Amino acid sequence: MSAASVRRGLWALAALGGGGVAATYFLAGAQRFWVNWLLWFVFGTCLALGALFLVALQHMTGARWSVPLRRAAERIGALTPWLVPVAIVALFSLPVVFSWTQPDAASLTPLVLKEHWLNRPFFIIRLAVCVTLWVVSYVVLVRGSVRQDETKDPHATVRLRRFSPVFMILLALTITDFAFDWVSSLEATWYSDIFGVYLFAGAVTTAIAAVLLAVMHLQRAGRLPGVTRDHVYNLGGLLFGFTIFWAYIAFSQYLLQWYADLPEEVFWFQQRLSGAMEYVFIVLGVGHFFVPFLALMSRDDKKSWTRLRWVAVWVIFMEFVDVFWLISPVLGPGIHLGWPELSFAAFFVPAGLLVLGRAMRLGDDMPTGDPFLQAGLDFHLP
Amino acid sequence: MLEPLFGVLALFPTADDLLKAIPEVKKRGFTKLEAYTPYPVHGIDEALDLPKSKLGVLVFLMASLGAISMFLFEWWTSTVSYPLLTAGKAYNGWPAWVPPMLEGTILVGTFTAALGMLFVFNRLPFFGNPMLRSKAIDRITREKFALVIRPGAGGLDTGGAIAALKAAGGEDIEVVQAPRYSKAGLAWWSKAIGAVGAACVVAGYGTAWVIRTFPTTRPMVEMEDQPRLDAQAADTFFASGRGMQLPPDGTVPRTFMPILAAGPGDGGKALMNPLPVTDSVLERGRTQFDIHCAVCHDRLGTGKAWLDSTYKAQPTDLQSSTVRDASDGYLYWVISRGFASMPAYAADISPDDRWAIIRYVRALQRSQDAPMRDVK
Repeated sequence: MSAASVRRGLWALAALGGGGVAATYFLAGAQRFWVNWLLWFVFGTCLALGALFLVALQHMTGARWSVPLRRAAERIGALTPWLVPVAIVALFSLPVVFSWTQPDAASLTPLVLKEHWLNRPFFIIRLAVCVTLWVVSYVVLVRGSVRQDETKDPHATVRLRRFSPVFMILLALTITDFAFDWVSSLEATWYSDIFGVYLFAGAVTTAIAAVLLAVMHLQRAGRLPGVTRDHVYNLGGLLFGFTIFWAYIAFSQYLLQWYADLPEEVFWFQQRLSGAMEYVFIVLGVGHFFVPFLALMSRDDKKSWTRLRWVAVWVIFMEFVDVFWLISPVLGPGIHLGWPELSFAAFFVPAGLLVLGRAMRLGDDMPTGDPFLQAGLDFHLP
Repeated sequence: MLEPLFGVLALFPTADDLLKAIPEVKKRGFTKLEAYTPYPVHGIDEALDLPKSKLGVLVFLMASLGAISMFLFEWWTSTVSYPLLTAGKAYNGWPAWVPPMLEGTILVGTFTAALGMLFVFNRLPFFGNPMLRSKAIDRITREKFALVIRPGAGGLDTGGAIAALKAAGGEDIEVVQAPRYSKAGLAWWSKAIGAVGAACVVAGYGTAWVIRTFPTTRPMVEMEDQPRLDAQAADTFFASGRGMQLPPDGTVPRTFMPILAAGPGDGGKALMNPLPVTDSVLERGRTQFDIHCAVCHDRLGTGKAWLDSTYKAQPTDLQSSTVRDASDGYLYWVISRGFASMPAYAADISPDDRWAIIRYVRALQRSQDAPMRDVK
């Protein structure tokens, strides 16, 4: 199958999905539509921010081995500007699915206490600030690195290294705010301080899996000469580590709320642990932690590309299940999975793949202007 | 005496030279090779065809065992041995067990990794390696990379080995002998274990001697050593200058039950034992009696317990006709208010337990003075 015919197929699927998305609004109701929209908005943001985090992490630690792989992360970070239209559309979901915008919200005491934070003007300002900061960071981190391909200016690397810690602080603040605003505040009386870290852990895990897939794809196509199994092995190790980190954070959040047993906290878990959602929870615990944990544990596992490819696809799917588990129960008890969800997937997955496919031609395949590229290519495992 | 051969050694200036030499030596038919390097060299495992270490499998098994044992330990202590309700959770509150399970996994896993590496796979303790006797060893630990051809099943052609190493670029070729080292036998193990035991005994007796000789020494700061109000101690915090406070005027503790009788005579008429005669009431009475009463009144109520001889007191014989004929209400009043040198027990024994004790005392009396129909 040629690349062009794949692209045509993706366009056709996206068009079909787009029809389903529009039909959802009129046939399945506005609520169903907005919940699905938020789902993909949150998932896409996680993937883009996780990729930018990996780029900044590489600059900040000064790691050599990851320099040849950085362009793959930067290209996935190219999803960031596409978040702008999705975020603007998502603002229209405010009156429909957010519990603090509902008419009876004023009667709930905890919401009165949160009024200074959860009001529409401030909410929109916060989203604008977050998205602006992300796009600016994308321009500095990714475009700056792509420009270096031509200028070969080593000072660009120094500038990016100086900017990365600033981006880390901005990312910590904005992703926490994003998690609180766009996921927690759907059930506005609920709160969990750790929730921003929870979303961050899932975001980085997904981004590593996506970079892994991109690197293996480009390497097979012969576009990453010098990138060896050792580089890919290290990415597998990172994926293994962040899988554990996600489980640690996810369980910490659950354990604390389970222990304290406060009514304003546990109702959130009750919604997500009762009825059919309980099976989703079990799938999430087993699939997001135990499967990749056991599948990547041994040294040989991380050397097998077949296994890494399957685990990476699985981890990305599980992150989607995670976001589904977080957001979908807003619609009420039961699992809300039907043609609207399939339509949204049929629209956003090919659209995302088309964007990423185009991004895979961004700049050279490796950061050829980075003075540490050769040091990175020389990397060998002990 | 001719010492057995350990192998033929050659030094190489760099790690790359060593890696290049290995296949050349192998080509000449020498396959039993060992390498000694000042730091871990990339690719040496593959070059020497070393099998993958089994340590990972061992660590995985032991770490899983650690997690499972901690789970069983938590389950047994909080569900079977001493069922404890915490914050309204069910006994099988497994989420609370996960942090100890994680710790157990890591603890057993790391110990297995370290001790398994030393004692299982590296076969410690041994008392020396022939390589330590070689002339090259101090340069190997510093700057040189050594390749050793070891004798196979059919011995070693020393001349051929020297030639092979020379051809591969080896320098300072040396034939290393293997002197016989003593092994860690029974004598060594008993000495080692005895030394550890002796150290424990010395430390234990030493601590005990220090504590006895210097009584104010505290070898360990325990939980009782903390700033707090003691019941009978003076304290400057309150205006009264006492640590213990009286309840505010007009209040009583939540569980307080006043004794609705003016005295022993009146009590006999006014108070009835509210508890039924059941196994559980008698069992409760026996427990409380044995805790609070038996130390003076004896476990049978005869009034001849071990405190008599110590304090020269004369506790009442509960089997006497005076007590036998007294009403339950009278006994309740005595337990609550005290009698002669017996202190009041109202603060120590709850009203229900006092009534249960009385039921039990009646049972004791019956046991020592049973009518004929009970025996039949």
